[in-house]
Amino acid sequence: MRKVAIVGAGITKFGRRDASWRDLVVEAGKALFDDVPNLDKREVDSLFVGSAYPERWANTAHVAPMAAELLGIKPWRLVAKTESACQSGAVAIRYAWLAVASGLSDVAIVLGVEKMNSKFMNLTQSTMYIVGDREFDTVNGLTAPPFFAMVARRHMYLYGTTREQLAMVRVKAGEYGSENPYAHFNRKVTMEEVLKARPVAPPLGLFDCSGITDGAVALLITSEERAKKYTDTPVWILGGFQRTIYSSINDAGEIADWLSLRELAKDVYNHFKITPEDVDIAEVHDCFTISEIIEYEELGFCKKGEGGKFIEEGQSYIGGKVAVNPSGGLLACGHPLGATGVRQAWEITMQFRGQVPKKRYVAGAELGLAHNLSGLAAMHSIMLYGLKKP
Amino acid sequence: MREIRLPDTVPLLPIIDPWAQQDPEGPDSTKVYEFYKNLSEGRLTMQRCKKCGKVFYPPQAACKYCYSTEYEWIDVPKVGEIYSFTAMLLGFPMVFENFAPFVIAIARFGNYPENGIQIAGMMFDVSYEELKIGDKVTWEVMRIRGPGEKVRYWYYFKKV
Repeated sequence: MRKVAIVGAGITKFGRRDASWRDLVVEAGKALFDDVPNLDKREVDSLFVGSAYPERWANTAHVAPMAAELLGIKPWRLVAKTESACQSGAVAIRYAWLAVASGLSDVAIVLGVEKMNSKFMNLTQSTMYIVGDREFDTVNGLTAPPFFAMVARRHMYLYGTTREQLAMVRVKAGEYGSENPYAHFNRKVTMEEVLKARPVAPPLGLFDCSGITDGAVALLITSEERAKKYTDTPVWILGGFQRTIYSSINDAGEIADWLSLRELAKDVYNHFKITPEDVDIAEVHDCFTISEIIEYEELGFCKKGEGGKFIEEGQSYIGGKVAVNPSGGLLACGHPLGATGVRQAWEITMQFRGQVPKKRYVAGAELGLAHNLSGLAAMHSIMLYGLKKP
Repeated sequence: MREIRLPDTVPLLPIIDPWAQQDPEGPDSTKVYEFYKNLSEGRLTMQRCKKCGKVFYPPQAACKYCYSTEYEWIDVPKVGEIYSFTAMLLGFPMVFENFAPFVIAIARFGNYPENGIQIAGMMFDVSYEELKIGDKVTWEVMRIRGPGEKVRYWYYFKKV
């Protein structure tokens, strides 16, 4: 397999944007092309578009050729939209990595994009519950907040996790998100604000939930041989896997234990010969505050059941055991589904390049981990990124 | 100038309808129609494989373990236990907005997982504050009426 690098990155402002799906593609494309002045667009042979539901939110299907045209490229090797709900972007990166590593592609663009806001927010919510088993499970009103609220309730019951510990995750997100100009919610929030916020699905309130957000991110991905043409600071894609062991509530077993993530993390650590202690930056899927707490546990940053204590002790802050979500995560950046996994890679790229504000800069970081989940935590994904050539 | 006049409303299309069409035949029918037929007769059922003996849910047209297509429909035990719960208080999807807010629970019925199931269900006439993990609930069948004269069935939970 060839070594594969991210050699260019561009991002749009995340938020409730007065912009269409197409506008977001163009905006991210412009940011990418500005970042890689040496790119001749005729060199781009492949395109992977991570976008979950443009069929519903932009009423447009078959978006890969449209995105190619909007970007002004004519790829001739691998071209596809990748859909895996909230991890659509991570899947797009994984396919680009595989394509370039195998030698089938030399220069690929990964585009993560989602347009979720409109005047018809009930339609947005109607799309958010079909990511579960709509006919038999989510027909019971299981959009994401009620499901993750039940995960939280369960975690509190089994492990004694407190409401305050959940809130601490959001306070940390605000701390770093306030230093991220691209974040949807780029301001600090207090403990009191989180605890007194309007309930969405108890015990979760408005601040425990990631935002419904519009945004796009584009990456240029190429082989070791070509990387130096585009940049002096390549970020290496080490790789990663996915795992799914259930889809339905019936097969989920204990919903506060994410066994698929636990097994996935072990597999990834073994395969890439690292340990959880080696991870300097972890961009994890904090779609809800409870998610990040469980991810500390299943990724092996702390023991099972001690995720609440981990945030309480400040171990997931920069300077703690591992810097978790120095971008502000999904809670502060917002969560445009297809863009999120790509945004995490963008964050790690900017960190390795030293192009983030000082207050959220993880000095000396060499290994980054990005985690995504999708649906009712039915599938997990991990990707590893390195500053040093593997 | 030529003008095209658009309708103000359109019928409730399947892409925003939470419930399956539950048709017994035709292109919108399902091979597990028996599940819906049982519901219409007041029975919430799960499948048991006649070959390997395992219970499985959600319904599908082959055993999810041994993939035998020989299975029987058996009743879900009437009384279960709340495993977790919450309420949908904000962010209502289309259609749900007509009857939200409501409580949502996950409950276990029978000897889960060997001989029982874990399912989510809506709860009405009870508040989040009145519930705790371990509370006993029953499943009850409800009628979904509309659009127009269409009648379908689903289940909900009721606190014992």
